[in-house]
Amino acid sequence: MSYVATIGEREVAISVEDLGGSNYKVLIDGVEHVVDAHQVASQLWSVLYRGASFVVDVTRLPTEEYEVLIQGDCHKFALMNEQRRAMIRAGGKGSAGKAMLTSPMPGKVVKLLVKEGQEVEAGQGVIVVEAMKMENELKSALAGKVKEIFVDEGEVVESGAKLLLVE
Amino acid sequence: MFRKILIANRGEIAVRVLRACKELGIRTVAVYSEVDRKALHTRYADEAVCIGPAPARESYLVIDKIIDAAKKSGAEAIHPGYGFLAENPLFADRCEKEKIKLIGPSAYAMRTMGSKTLARKTVQSAGVPVVPGTVEPITTEAEVIRVAKEIGLPVMLKATAGGGGKGMRLVREESELSSSLRMAKSEAKSAFSDDSVYIEKYIENPRHVEIQLLGDRHGNYVHLCERECSIQRRHQKVVEESPSVIITPEVRAAMGKVAIDAARAVKYEGAGTCEFLVDSKRNFFFLEMNTRLQVEHPVTEMVTGVDIVKEQIRVAAGEKLSIRQEDVKQSGHAIECRVYAEDPERNFMPCPGVVTSLRIPGGPGVRDDSGMYEGFEIPIYYDPIISKLVVWGKDRTEAIARMKRALAEYVVTGVKTTIPFHIRVMNNRHFIEGNFDTNFIDKVFFKEEEARQLRNEEVALVTAAIQVFTEERKRAVAQQPGEAAGAVSMWKYSTRPGIRKIG
Repeated sequence: MSYVATIGEREVAISVEDLGGSNYKVLIDGVEHVVDAHQVASQLWSVLYRGASFVVDVTRLPTEEYEVLIQGDCHKFALMNEQRRAMIRAGGKGSAGKAMLTSPMPGKVVKLLVKEGQEVEAGQGVIVVEAMKMENELKSALAGKVKEIFVDEGEVVESGAKLLLVE
Repeated sequence: MFRKILIANRGEIAVRVLRACKELGIRTVAVYSEVDRKALHTRYADEAVCIGPAPARESYLVIDKIIDAAKKSGAEAIHPGYGFLAENPLFADRCEKEKIKLIGPSAYAMRTMGSKTLARKTVQSAGVPVVPGTVEPITTEAEVIRVAKEIGLPVMLKATAGGGGKGMRLVREESELSSSLRMAKSEAKSAFSDDSVYIEKYIENPRHVEIQLLGDRHGNYVHLCERECSIQRRHQKVVEESPSVIITPEVRAAMGKVAIDAARAVKYEGAGTCEFLVDSKRNFFFLEMNTRLQVEHPVTEMVTGVDIVKEQIRVAAGEKLSIRQEDVKQSGHAIECRVYAEDPERNFMPCPGVVTSLRIPGGPGVRDDSGMYEGFEIPIYYDPIISKLVVWGKDRTEAIARMKRALAEYVVTGVKTTIPFHIRVMNNRHFIEGNFDTNFIDKVFFKEEEARQLRNEEVALVTAAIQVFTEERKRAVAQQPGEAAGAVSMWKYSTRPGIRKIG
């Protein structure tokens, strides 16, 4: 199976073939390696690669982006198989121009910094949510108008709760 | 000696105190909130009492409930740990009234040292050097301007009731004085419901060095040398070590002496800590006294061999300190890294959740004081500290190497932790050289990190590709679309900076 990883502006082609056991034949930018990758837990791998042993923590984000932790280094990239990439390229962009801000953690809405109908800048703080004794100011991903606010000050929200919509 | 002690705390520190009690053969009572039924301290104690709903205001901070639990369980003493009620003189008063021994200093000592202005006054008259500034709280703009002129800019405005960096403002320009005073007061008001603020000369490039003290009611005092706590993020300690690379034997002895003088001034009993700022010429100034067991006490235990919690319990029971000053030897070097459930990739956003897998480091010279286990759900209601990793080495070089090794062994999945951040700190040139002050992390470290080249990128890409490959194959076999292993829901990353969507 063939994949494309995108790191910033750079693209890397990777193909993976199962050799049985925990061995895989991997082609990365045209160079072939045999990798022994043993899945220790759902997102945790023990990897033997070119004679060296690594513990690798792979977090998949919902957008086919990955955060991979090796020895304190966090690698961030997008990764998908070639078919899916071709499909997405053909389909074009999704719902650009709208940004639903959701709570990144369970917590309490301490303060609303904006009102419905207000114009906001990208990166402007719009709401303050408190969790674990810390106040976190959440920012708008887009410049635009606050279309709707779904919560009140003092309200306790679950993680993922809709907070406000910017258009 | 006590037969039964109640521990009025949770998390790693409750477990730490439980361990000391068990080794002393004392029966233990845990208190727990409704979300902490499955917490480690609830499981480790001999008895456990539920004290109400999750928010600390309705459980761990309710004096009546703690006292009630102590009476019902027949506990003769209460260990408050740190935070919650540990430095609350009203709690100390109440314990005294109920004839339950609070393991800690008197309400009088707490009151005196708990008010920064009163503490300054008291230690100053005991001959302890303090940072130039006001002793009385400042209220008006005219006053703040007058005092700032007198002691010279830059100055620091601080909440009288403060702690943890809240209600603190650095002012370099005269024009900023009045607005900073307003902000400091409003922050102090919301954080501590007390808006009094005082002013201090700001020491440039200071190091934060503190002296661990022990005292008993028979008038005996010892200091257990210093801890270096300059590695701070936003005024919160994240790495501590002992000894400090800048402290000479002469300075250590001098600091130890004034710390004991400060403790004696309030007839201090139990374990306490005097915090000092040390400037580049090794002048030291009293900052405050913490009237409790501190988070970072293990580094002192590692280099002195003294079990601070056991000493606390013994002196609370009326015994004399088991050590004299001449017995105290600082041997080797210890470092502590505070592991928080926070995501260093997202500006240290709190990251509560379930610990899906856990491997705790071991081997020579490694100690892990933790309140978590595999399958534990870290609640949203409390401090994000989940563990303290402490190492001992024969010297600083070995301690750093050992800490790097132990951090590399430490695996926590399911929640993000500050372990990767600590690995970076241990590899930082300035840290290794011992060349840092309290501004190092915020001002220098993060800038240097931005420019850093990541290692082992190929391994990262290949492993992710293999994970996707195995998931796709599993899905194809099972013919049921579902969430892939290792995936997390969208919300966690919705405010993430720096990653662009593709396609």
